[in-house]
Amino acid sequence: MVQQQSGAQTDVDGNPVPELPDLSWMDKTLGWGVKARIEPFGGGLTINALNVGVYAEVPEHIPYRNRLPRGAYPAPGAGTIGGYYLQDKYEQWSDHAGLLYEEAISRRWATATDIPWNTAHGLPDDVEVALCQVATELSQQGSVESEVVSGWLQNLSPGYHEVKLYLSTVVYEAARLFEGYRKRAMLNGGGMMLESPGLMNRAVLETYAGWSQTVLGLWAIRGALQHEILRYLAVYGPSEADRELALRLIPDRVRTSAYAVSHIKFAISKKPEISQAFHAWLSGVEVAQARDLRDPVLVEALAVIFGGGVKHMDQGMQIVQRMLHDFVETYLDRCKQAGLPRERMLTPPFQAILDGSAFQQPA
Amino acid sequence: MATETRPEQGQAPVFTSFKEMMEYGKQNGYKMDWLQPRETFGSRLDSDEAAGGLLLQDIDHGPFAQVPDWSDNMTGRPRGALTRPNAPRVGNYSVRTKGDIWLKNAAQLYEEAVQRQWSSAVDVPWDEMEELPEDIERAECQLATFLTEVEFVAGDVPGKWISETTPDYYEPRMFLMSQIMDEARHMDVFRKRAFANGGGLMSQTTNVALSGGAIDSARDFTEMSARLHISGEGLVLSIFRMGERMSYNDAEKAIYRLAASDESRHVAFGVMHLQYLAQTDPERKEEIHSYLDEIEMGLVAGTGGQNPAARGTPSNAALAILLGGGSDAQSIHEGNQIALAVRQRQVKEYVQRVRVAGLGDRFENGRANAALAAYVSA
Repeated sequence: MVQQQSGAQTDVDGNPVPELPDLSWMDKTLGWGVKARIEPFGGGLTINALNVGVYAEVPEHIPYRNRLPRGAYPAPGAGTIGGYYLQDKYEQWSDHAGLLYEEAISRRWATATDIPWNTAHGLPDDVEVALCQVATELSQQGSVESEVVSGWLQNLSPGYHEVKLYLSTVVYEAARLFEGYRKRAMLNGGGMMLESPGLMNRAVLETYAGWSQTVLGLWAIRGALQHEILRYLAVYGPSEADRELALRLIPDRVRTSAYAVSHIKFAISKKPEISQAFHAWLSGVEVAQARDLRDPVLVEALAVIFGGGVKHMDQGMQIVQRMLHDFVETYLDRCKQAGLPRERMLTPPFQAILDGSAFQQPA
Repeated sequence: MATETRPEQGQAPVFTSFKEMMEYGKQNGYKMDWLQPRETFGSRLDSDEAAGGLLLQDIDHGPFAQVPDWSDNMTGRPRGALTRPNAPRVGNYSVRTKGDIWLKNAAQLYEEAVQRQWSSAVDVPWDEMEELPEDIERAECQLATFLTEVEFVAGDVPGKWISETTPDYYEPRMFLMSQIMDEARHMDVFRKRAFANGGGLMSQTTNVALSGGAIDSARDFTEMSARLHISGEGLVLSIFRMGERMSYNDAEKAIYRLAASDESRHVAFGVMHLQYLAQTDPERKEEIHSYLDEIEMGLVAGTGGQNPAARGTPSNAALAILLGGGSDAQSIHEGNQIALAVRQRQVKEYVQRVRVAGLGDRFENGRANAALAAYVSA
C-alpha cells in the first residue's frame, strides 16, 4: 500500500512532479478490513459493535499512560502524559458500560422543556418550602457527584474507553440533577435552603482508596438513597411537575447503579481478596450516611411533602420511614448483586434504619 | 417493595403563618428550624415553552443571582444556600476568583448544548456508506484515529477543572460538563467512522505534545482554556467546517456538521471567557498575550496540539489525500494546495476570535507573530 518516494523530479512531459509526503503510516494498522455491523431494528451503529476481530480484545492491563485509542497502532515514541494511573481492567471495567453509554445517549430530554413547570405554582407555603429544602439537598448531591466523577476521568485509562464514555454521560446527568432541582427551587421564589450536612459529600470526595471505593459510596449507598427519594417524589410529589421531574431522573440513577453493580462484580471476579477492603470501606460510608440522615432537616422536609403539610407530618414521617427502610433494602440488594452480601455485616446505624428504630415517631 | 399509599389523615389545624407551622411541628416533637422562607419566597417564574422553556439563565434572582468576585465556599454548597457551621470543608477549590473562569453567557451555552444533543448511533446515516478506494479509506481511518485520540484531551482536561472550581461559579461548570458529554460523543463517532466502512484504526499520534500534553499541563484555567478552546478546538472547528470538501458520503458530512456545531460552542466559551477577563481584569491582559504568543508560534510552524493540519504528520497527509482525492503525487499536491487554504482559514478564524475576545490590539501593534500576516495574504 505504501507508495515509494519518487526519485524523479519531472514527469514524461518534463513537468515537475511534486514530492510525496511520508505515507508509511498507511500500513500501520493492527487490523484492516473490519466492518462493524449496524444494529437491526433501528439501534444504529453502537460502540459495542466496534469490538470485532482484533479489536474485540479488551486487555487486563493497559501498559501506556497516554491517549492511544485501544487497538490503534502504537507510536513507539509517544511517551507519557501523566494521569491515567488506573491501568488495570479490574479497577474500572464493567461489561455493561458500552450499553449504558448508548442507552444514556438515546434518552435525550431537557429540564427546560420536558417538565410541566407551570403545574407547580400555588402549592401550600409549607409544602413549597419543604420542597425547596429537598431540592437544595438533591441539587448539592448532583453538584458533588459531577465534581467527583469529572475529577476521576483524568485517572481512568483511555484504553477502557467504554467506561470513560459512560462516565461522561454520568457527569452530564449529574449536571441535569443539579439544574433540574435548582430550577424547581427557584420556580416560586423559595430558592436554595440549608446546605447538606456534608458527611456523605466528604465520604465520596475523599476516596483516595480507589475508583471502585468511590463507586460504592456514590452509587451503592448514596445512589440507593437518591433512587428512593426520587421514587417516592414520583408518587407523593405535590404537583405534576414534581412527579415528572423525579420520574425523568430515575432512569439516570438506575444506570449508575447498573454500572456500580457490574463493575464491583467484575472487580471481585478478578481479585476476590478485594471484597474485604470493599466491606471495610462500606462500613465507614454507612456510618457517614447514617450521620447525615440523623440530621432532621431532610427527613422532616420529606415528611412535610409526603404528608401534604406540617399538619400531617406524622403521617408523612411514616412514609419517610418506609422510604428509608426501602433505601437500606435497595442498598443491600445492590451489594448482594455485586457479590458483597452485607446482611450480616450491616453497621448498627444502618440496621436501625432497616428495623425502623432509627427514626422513632415523636410521642 | 411496598406500594406507596398515603396514611389516613384526620382533622387538621389551620395555620396563618410560618411561625405557627413551626410551633405546631415543635410541639409535636420535630425540630423544624429549617422551615423559614427565604427573602425571595413568593416570586414566581413562568415557563414559556415558546421561548425555550424554563432556562438556567433566567432562574436566579435576589441572593441566588449574586456571583461573588471571590468565593469562600469550601463546603460545596449551591450558590445562595444557607450555610451550616459544622459542614466539613471538602471544597479545596483552586478556582475561587470570578475572573479566573467567568463569562457572561455560560448558562445560555449550556442550555444550547442540552437542546443540541445528538446520537452517533442513529443520527449519522451509516448505512449510506459505500466502499471507497483503499487509499481514501485509509486516509479517512487515519484522520478518524487522530481525532478519536485528541477528543480524549477535550473531555478529560475540563473534567479536572470542574472539580477544581467552586460551585458558586456553577454556570461555567455546567457548560464544561456539557462539553465532556460532547467530547465523549466525538471520540465515539470518529472511532465508529474508522470501523464503519471496512477499515480499522491506524497510527497513534507520534508524541504526546501533539496529542495535547501542553493542554494537560496548564496550571491556570485561563491558560488551559486559551490552549484548548481558542487554539486546539478552534483549529479543529475550522477543519470540521471544511467537512463538505473532504467527505465522500452523507455519513461523513453528517459527522462533521454535527461535531462542528458542538465545537463552535466550545470555542465560543473560550472566546467569551477571554473577553470577560480582558474587560474586568486588564492587568492580566499581558499574561494572556503571552499565551497567545505561544499559540501563534505553533500556528505558523504548523505544529501544535490538536491540529490535524499540522505539517509533517500522518493526519495532515491524510487530509491532503482526502482533499485531493487520491494518494498519487498529483492528487496529494492538489490536496496540499487545499490544505494550505485550510490553514489560512484556521489563521483567519483565530485572528477573528482574538479580536472578539478584546485582544485584537496585538494585530495592530506588532505583537502578533509576523508570519500570521503572510499566511493570511498567501
